[in-house]
Amino acid sequence: MSLRTTKQNGEWLDRTKKINFTFEGEAFIAFEGDTISSALWAAGQKVLGRSFKYHRARGVLSLANHDVNILVTDGMDTNMRADIVLVKDGMVLNAVNTVGGVKKDKNSFIDSISPLLPVGFYYKAFHTPRRFFPFWEKVIRKASGLGIVNFDYPRILKRKLHTHCDVLVIGAGPSGLTAALVAAEAGLEVTIVDENQQAGGSLGYNRGGNVATASQLTDLLAKVAGYSNITMITGAYAAGYYPDHLIPIVAANGITKVRAKTVIVASGAFEQPPVFRYNDLPGVMLGSAAQRLIYRYGVKPFNNGVVVTANDYGYRVALDLLVAGTKVVAVVDLRAEASSMAAELTKRGVKVYPGHCVYEALASSDKSGVRGAIICAYDEQKNVAITTKKITLECDGIAMSAGWAPAGALLYQAGTAMQFDYAVQQFVPNRIPDGIFAAGKVNGIFELEQRINDGRRAANEALRYLGLSAPEVVVEKHVGACPSHPYPMVPHDKGKNFVDFDEDIQIKDFVNAAKEGFDNIELMKRFTTVGMGPSQGKHSNMNAIRILAKIRNLPVEKIGTTTSRPFFHPTPIGHLGGRGFHSHRLTSLHQWHADHGAVFTDIGAWKRAAYYLTAGQTKEDAIQTEAMAVRQTAGIIDGSSFGKIEVHGPDAAEFLERFFTGVYTTQKVGSCRYVMLLDESGVIVDDGIASRLADDLFYLSVGTSNAAAVYREMQRSQQMWQLDLGLVNVTGAFGAINIAGPAAREILATLTDLDLSYESFPISSVRESFVAGVEARLIRVAFVSDVGYELHIPMVQVPQVWQALLDAGKKHGVRPFGSDTQRLLRLEMGHAMPGVDTDGLTNPFEIGAEWALKMTKAYFIGQRSLQILAKKPLRKRLVAFVLAENFKGEMPMDCNLVLEGREILGRVTSIGYSKFINRCIGLAFVTPAKTAIGAQFQIRTDNGSSVTATVVKTPFLKN
Amino acid sequence: MQALTPNKAVKLDAKISPAAPAQSGANVKWAVMNDMQIATAFASAEVEQARQKVLGVTDVSCFPRYGFKGPQAAQWAADHELAIPSSPNSWTLSDQKSLVLRLGGSEFLLEDQIGGIVCEKLSSISARVAGVYKVPRADAAFILNGSAALNLFAELCSLDLRPSALLANDVIMTQLAGISAIVIRQTHNGEPVYRIWCDGTYGAYMWETLIEIAVELGGGAVGLASYQQ
Repeated sequence: MSLRTTKQNGEWLDRTKKINFTFEGEAFIAFEGDTISSALWAAGQKVLGRSFKYHRARGVLSLANHDVNILVTDGMDTNMRADIVLVKDGMVLNAVNTVGGVKKDKNSFIDSISPLLPVGFYYKAFHTPRRFFPFWEKVIRKASGLGIVNFDYPRILKRKLHTHCDVLVIGAGPSGLTAALVAAEAGLEVTIVDENQQAGGSLGYNRGGNVATASQLTDLLAKVAGYSNITMITGAYAAGYYPDHLIPIVAANGITKVRAKTVIVASGAFEQPPVFRYNDLPGVMLGSAAQRLIYRYGVKPFNNGVVVTANDYGYRVALDLLVAGTKVVAVVDLRAEASSMAAELTKRGVKVYPGHCVYEALASSDKSGVRGAIICAYDEQKNVAITTKKITLECDGIAMSAGWAPAGALLYQAGTAMQFDYAVQQFVPNRIPDGIFAAGKVNGIFELEQRINDGRRAANEALRYLGLSAPEVVVEKHVGACPSHPYPMVPHDKGKNFVDFDEDIQIKDFVNAAKEGFDNIELMKRFTTVGMGPSQGKHSNMNAIRILAKIRNLPVEKIGTTTSRPFFHPTPIGHLGGRGFHSHRLTSLHQWHADHGAVFTDIGAWKRAAYYLTAGQTKEDAIQTEAMAVRQTAGIIDGSSFGKIEVHGPDAAEFLERFFTGVYTTQKVGSCRYVMLLDESGVIVDDGIASRLADDLFYLSVGTSNAAAVYREMQRSQQMWQLDLGLVNVTGAFGAINIAGPAAREILATLTDLDLSYESFPISSVRESFVAGVEARLIRVAFVSDVGYELHIPMVQVPQVWQALLDAGKKHGVRPFGSDTQRLLRLEMGHAMPGVDTDGLTNPFEIGAEWALKMTKAYFIGQRSLQILAKKPLRKRLVAFVLAENFKGEMPMDCNLVLEGREILGRVTSIGYSKFINRCIGLAFVTPAKTAIGAQFQIRTDNGSSVTATVVKTPFLKN
Repeated sequence: MQALTPNKAVKLDAKISPAAPAQSGANVKWAVMNDMQIATAFASAEVEQARQKVLGVTDVSCFPRYGFKGPQAAQWAADHELAIPSSPNSWTLSDQKSLVLRLGGSEFLLEDQIGGIVCEKLSSISARVAGVYKVPRADAAFILNGSAALNLFAELCSLDLRPSALLANDVIMTQLAGISAIVIRQTHNGEPVYRIWCDGTYGAYMWETLIEIAVELGGGAVGLASYQQ
């Protein structure tokens, strides 16, 4: 039976446009503007979802994304919130979390065994006997979650944008709209955001049977539309507060990060359900949900309804139900004294029961809806139903109005100190951080005229904050009936009086949690999981606090609230990912590498050629071939990604002296020295080479991965030390080529006039000259080979020199090699690499780098820690090892464990097969007892087998 | 030993724009300007003009640049009769055809626009001066123009780059698409244009990113030839 009403003034539907869709295999017709829930409810569908735990039938509760009773899937997306997702033509929808459909969910039997499944049962069950845990794990995993993740979900771009404004108003209800108008009148750029599809907030539906509020809203919106400096964003939510007034606004198509000069939070309040047995049946809904159905979507919530209330709001709901054509059977008011509106309702034939409660909603025979309500007197002092005289009212729906909880998430996140205001029975802002203002219901102001006034006050305060003049506005404190009941709970012996609809949490669950000792709000939250479902406590946290307060016999403010964290609603990961910027750096030879079969690897921010594949080659073949070229003739590698930093100035040597572990003040011009950087705890950060080009100029080359961090640390240190020097990061400006191998000198000699003889240009020296006509810094290195030259040249001219080297070395068979080959070559040389052979805890003693430490210096970073570490016994030490000759077993990998029995002695840091040495070689951390030459240890491979390794001296080449 | 065979010829004897690896395509026309290969056209003149109205992205990495820093940098500039901005993080024109960007208090980036010769003159100075340190520049540099330029920046940058916030001679050093970049607003042929500089090794990435968004917004790549018109 259709529950669609005649057209309502201000409704959100376009009734000229019909939409066809299916739900659970059944065809439905909706109007454009309907949400999935409103369309189904209009069609008389009551069971729209199943609860998470007990699989109880569920219908509309808030119709406002304050609950997740109705989650659906369209086959592509899942956990779509039907209350707010607009229905679209052709949608094929099904409820999630059911077996066999929402109406005949086979898992609904769980409800009947719910006494066996109290909160926290899973903390206690399943642990013993341990052998059964894998079985239970499967069962639990199957039962957990709601919808099923679609792993074929397409990547749909959700942009993340940045925008700026003077005033950001959160919430487009009467307070927010007024605030926006006041700010706009002052000439400020205003952005106002509201999660509803249309602006207006409760002014659009909280009418109390009076159509005048609709025209009041129309007038307000017309004024807003008249200001070009107001940007209205609807259908998007302010998801969190971050420092300096950064608010991400989440919409269907992406996230806009708004940086505002000032923020006005007019986010309203969530209606809270009274708690009574079977308050979750389809047909039992919040009063505001009933109003939304009526005025937004032209849907009658039910035919014969009971309103259970604990404030005056319920009376307004009753009047609105009458507008919709619902026969209001009764208004049941927990309070002893009825509202002044009772007379009007009585006049219209509505029976009012003050001092009564709904003791229990009666389920229809198939538990798919409501067939009545049992009411009885309510003892407000003891908060119990007086069941001596029960009255049964026949009805097909119950509207609930018991009070409100502030939508104060962003205020909390901003650091607002809240206090409990007994006049409104609500937490309200007490001390708000600078530049943030609250207005309306979230500020504890409920009467419409005062909410508008409060919006004006907040805006004027914001104007003054921005240095503009604006008059003081006085807002009257709340008078009259309290909008929220202090304890709208009705205990029932049989339970099923739900507090949190997400997780099927009942009053008794809180009692049990407290008995277990979880009587602090944060602990209770985690034990009961209240507020931990997708609704994040929007409809449940306030009642949970009130229940805990009663259990502990404490005032509500002593219980406090749980921590509010972004995001306000669960937000898809695709939104958070945005476009997914993956910045990467390319050397000027990148295209050449790509054209010559390079397989690239990411090292730091760089794309580096790892090795070059030719037809028919495997990766291993390619690496061994490249390595053999370096050993037998020569190879060249693009080292442009190395970090390169110039240190200029009279204090350059002094700076290096403090920054690195070695000695540099005595370093001669034209020479190079090893540099090792530690952090303050003595852990190795990076290493490299310092080349002294002049008395007042050092040229540093450091590792690829850490270059940016090293430079940043140098800048930070210079800020502290204030030496007379300048730092210039030339990593991107200079490229580098390393030519290595026995023929390297001969090849290079054809391209430069520089004397390359060993006497004139020995190892660890630097020269400035020309190579292939390009100005270059030549550094004599022995990292991958005893004969090697690093050529540092302007990045754009690297290809020119590269090609010249290839041409000059053609007769020698020179060939390029990649970074994977480089790792093998330096392993053959026995060199440890920071970040590969060290980790975030490794100190120099552990890799045998005592030679690099000048402990007698006055100071260097990490020195003090090393002095302490030097007095302690070593816990691990890096050793070189080989596997057996002609080893043919499972090859160990980097990071495989070194074991002795079940005891972990260390791990492999580098390992590889060297064709040149014809041996599997590697470096590993082991305990000091295993470091002697010839000592043996076991490596456990990925397949579980053990491989024996023998400690040897380095370099391997000479073994 | 197997010989490596290139899949296609790469000219290694000329400098090439750092953004070039991301600028492949049959329609791309190249020319050498300031000793660097640069894309002069990506499409027909009509198409590029249409792009420029919405969002045109032009690679001008070939413009000569010169950088220096240090406590005596401002004095050194004055000694060489270079007009410099009086305040940090602002820019000015020197000799009408060379941009002078003051990056912070004591660092300068110079760029010769078409016809400018300041960088070339300074590059010939080899003597090192106390308190002045040359900063070798290998930037990728781009020009953005068109009505949707700010829409693009809205996705790449968290700073407010609207004219009300980014004043005519402001220099912004910020993060664009996750990497460090310099941004200014200029006027070219009476139209506002935005200039971007980033480390050249990020040039291809920045170009890919700019073009991806520009195309989505209805614009695209514009060759240097169109910009020169």
